[in-house]
Amino acid sequence: MTKIQAIAVGALAGLLMLGQGWAADVKIGIMVPTTGSEATAGKDMENAIKLAVDEINKSGGVLGKNIITITGDDGCDPQMATAAASKLVSNDVVGVVGGYCSGATLPTLKIYGDAGIPFVVAAANSTKLIDANPGTAFQINSTGFDQVNSAVALFKAKGVKKLAIVHQGDGYSEDLARLTRDKWTGMGNQVVAYAVVNKGEQDQSSLVTQIKSKAPDAVFWTAYYSDGALLIKQLRQAGYHKLIAVGDGSNSPKLLEIAGKAAEGVYCFSNPTADYLPAAGDFVKNYKARYHQAPDAYGPLAYDGMKLMADAISRAGSTDKAAIVKALKETKNFNGITGAISFTDKNTLAKSNFVVLVARGGKWMLNK
Amino acid sequence: MAGSSPLTSVSDWLRPQQNRMIVLMGLAGVAMLIPLVANNYVLEVLTNAWFYAILCLGLNIVVGYAGLLDLGYAAFFAVGAYTTGILTSKFGVNFWLTIPVAVSCSMLAGLIIGGPTLRLRSDYLAIVTLGFGEIVRIIARNLEITGGASGLIGIDRPSIFGLELSRGIHFYYVFLLLAILACFISYRLQNSRLGRAWQYVREDEDAAEAMGIGRVAVKLYAYVIGAMFGGVAGCFFAAKMTAISPETFTFSQSVLILLGVVLGGMGKIPGVIIGAFALVLFPEVFRGLGSMRMLIFGIVMLVIMLYRPEGIWPQKQREV
Amino acid sequence: MSTSDIILQQLANGLILGSFYALVALGYTMVYGIIKLLNFAHGDLYMVGGFVGFLVLSLVSGLMGSSWAGILCSMVFSMLAVGLLGVIIQRIAYVPMLQAPRLSILITALAVSMVLSNGVMAITDGEYLAFNTDLGYEGLDLGNVFISYTQLVLVVSAALLMIILYLFVHKTLYGKAMRAIAIDQDACRLMGINVNRIIALTFFIGSSLAAAAGVMAGVYYGSLHFFMGFVIGLKAFTAAVIGGIGSIPGAMLGGLVLGLLEAFGTQIPFVGSEWKDVFSFGLLILLLIFKPTGLLGKTEIERM
Repeated sequence: MTKIQAIAVGALAGLLMLGQGWAADVKIGIMVPTTGSEATAGKDMENAIKLAVDEINKSGGVLGKNIITITGDDGCDPQMATAAASKLVSNDVVGVVGGYCSGATLPTLKIYGDAGIPFVVAAANSTKLIDANPGTAFQINSTGFDQVNSAVALFKAKGVKKLAIVHQGDGYSEDLARLTRDKWTGMGNQVVAYAVVNKGEQDQSSLVTQIKSKAPDAVFWTAYYSDGALLIKQLRQAGYHKLIAVGDGSNSPKLLEIAGKAAEGVYCFSNPTADYLPAAGDFVKNYKARYHQAPDAYGPLAYDGMKLMADAISRAGSTDKAAIVKALKETKNFNGITGAISFTDKNTLAKSNFVVLVARGGKWMLNK
Repeated sequence: MAGSSPLTSVSDWLRPQQNRMIVLMGLAGVAMLIPLVANNYVLEVLTNAWFYAILCLGLNIVVGYAGLLDLGYAAFFAVGAYTTGILTSKFGVNFWLTIPVAVSCSMLAGLIIGGPTLRLRSDYLAIVTLGFGEIVRIIARNLEITGGASGLIGIDRPSIFGLELSRGIHFYYVFLLLAILACFISYRLQNSRLGRAWQYVREDEDAAEAMGIGRVAVKLYAYVIGAMFGGVAGCFFAAKMTAISPETFTFSQSVLILLGVVLGGMGKIPGVIIGAFALVLFPEVFRGLGSMRMLIFGIVMLVIMLYRPEGIWPQKQREV
Repeated sequence: MSTSDIILQQLANGLILGSFYALVALGYTMVYGIIKLLNFAHGDLYMVGGFVGFLVLSLVSGLMGSSWAGILCSMVFSMLAVGLLGVIIQRIAYVPMLQAPRLSILITALAVSMVLSNGVMAITDGEYLAFNTDLGYEGLDLGNVFISYTQLVLVVSAALLMIILYLFVHKTLYGKAMRAIAIDQDACRLMGINVNRIIALTFFIGSSLAAAAGVMAGVYYGSLHFFMGFVIGLKAFTAAVIGGIGSIPGAMLGGLVLGLLEAFGTQIPFVGSEWKDVFSFGLLILLLIFKPTGLLGKTEIERM
């Protein structure tokens, strides 16, 4: 080999290595919607995860190595999500943290499962995920079952007899709607309206008229905030003054911003947002300092998800994916800012973290 | 020579059949060998490019050859994908058997959409095809059998002679072969009697009719064949993705495919392929642009329509 | 709620929806009548109008508050700004294409639409914008039927705009010129009418009407999104076709008819809210196939 050839080979090898990334780093994938209607929540989660990564790296990294992250945008769409998941898998990540829209997360469970990659699902909580879990995914947000219990308890406490449920046909809202309906009617009550609304539909007036004509005591919106805000506004505009409740897909402060005054008094079943987490003070402070805005509703969970993943890797003692999955499964009372995390044998949260929030003066408050 | 750009002199050299075959063989050879050197990410991008090449070639038949502005082409793609998806995931039918069914359904869709609309003038036709595209998407979104807004998941990977097609490299070859097939069919069509009939109808419908060309039949052929391409692409897309959702088949998707056809040069096969590649490679190369990607595309399309409507690929000299 | 209550309520719903459709349909029909172009970008002008109105409102709300005074101010400004934008678009994108094959100008319009909607997407990062005003929810409480004051004001405003337009087209010289150009452009040129100026004026008026509708929609629904022009563009086109494309009273009628059809259509069993769009598009397709001249249109000799 001539000198030039040797240099060329060396350069090529160097470039190839660069392309693969330093073997000394631990690659974690972030799968959240960074575009589309849920981009606010997704980007917030990504921010929180990156904050966690920085903290971990500053205190020595995990197993002595730095964590680097790769983000796959799932756009809250099942098909974009599968593409994002394939991308993360082909980038040889050892773990994935993320998952906001259940409908988008669902098909990726198999993709990660086939590749043996541990997946900490930070926010997505449809019960459909439980059955589809190949054993490598771990949900750290309370599932639809817990949410239904909170919802039904509130409705009962408020003396609701006739309930109207509205969803958007996707994996998350449809699941929550169906479970609520089944539980509510199982308790001997009535569901007077059970409707589907298209995503992005601005004009809900005919639905609102239909709902009004059935005179329900409460309206339960189980989908996301952008259309939920419009529905709330139009319900109030049409003269519907009774109880309105939303699920945790609408727990973003943006709901209150868009719905304005109409949101006053609306209930929300949600994981506790940063304001109501006693351990989240530092997190909120650091988040604000770095990103110049307050964290959104799922920031704390995303942060915990990343910290849990790092903790599991440490406990596993290696970046072997199967070992990480085992370590995650064995998690006992991991102290996250959202509370202690332990898993059931179905890889769901052992203890429900749902609370009831109520909108007062444009902010979410804990319902007393 | 004054007024001859590098591209024109290249296309001059390509004129003799022999030279063209050499280049084509060379390109095909390179395309076959790429998986040996490329990493997963590059392979995925190229596979996507071949996939769009098939779609753009299909739309090219409708828009480029026959001159029909179809803004709902994604509908055919959707029909193919959903047919395969439903048959494999809900009825357990073998993937290869679903292909003829899916293609027939797409062709049927082509007849349904094309039949009543072909007498309409071009602007109305554009809107009607757009409407049909939306209708197909909304039906896919609302019905239970198509999985509703969540779409279909768990579509099985097909096996061929015992080998399960699951890795990126498998699908690269699948789509490459399909694209080559699509090119071949497009080329033969272009030089056939039907191809010439399309040309006449595109240039001047009334004159064509006066010459005895049944313009409704000719246009219908274009639709149905274009639908076939879309349908086949849809089947393999569903198998590769294992999950499809109605959001894949939006108007934006139809516009994207149209963009690919227009960018490279409507009606010209190499132009269309270049357009498809540009479509896929551009957002990958310019990752940083993110949300500005479609904006830039729109500006590019505008600029092309205003200053170079024949597209990037040079105009072939009119053979008299 | 009794059937008559439901009918009354849906009537009110249909009217306000129809007003939006009518305003946007007018722009479509005017441009088509005068230069036989289907301006794909028209729906996006509605969207841009909403955003401009939002911007202006946030600027003037300090001075004029966020109630009707502020809204009126932002609507007027938005109408002027977007009207101007419409003329600029026409000059840059459509005038050079008038001699090109039909396919090209349609694709150009598509490109313009892409630039507008994706431009706004890039600016807003794709997020929904909250259009907040100080308007209350008081209204006429007729038992089970409720019509808010906001709805009333919006419907009346839309009607006012349409009346002004009608008077303009039929009582002024400019309007007469517009109608004449729609019949025979070349003859008008020979008569010394500045055809290009009148065409620009048509674009201006059509675009500003769309902008007005955009601001009203922002106020009424409370949120703006970069993609909201798409559906309204299709619906407005449907409305224009229902009434007879090229006919101004046709667009007004078509808009109202479509709004009412959509409102009442969802009462039909099995046609829930999620099938609303299929219903409208299906109607459009059937119309174009069987009666493309619509209700008030004239059968025109096919000039290909």
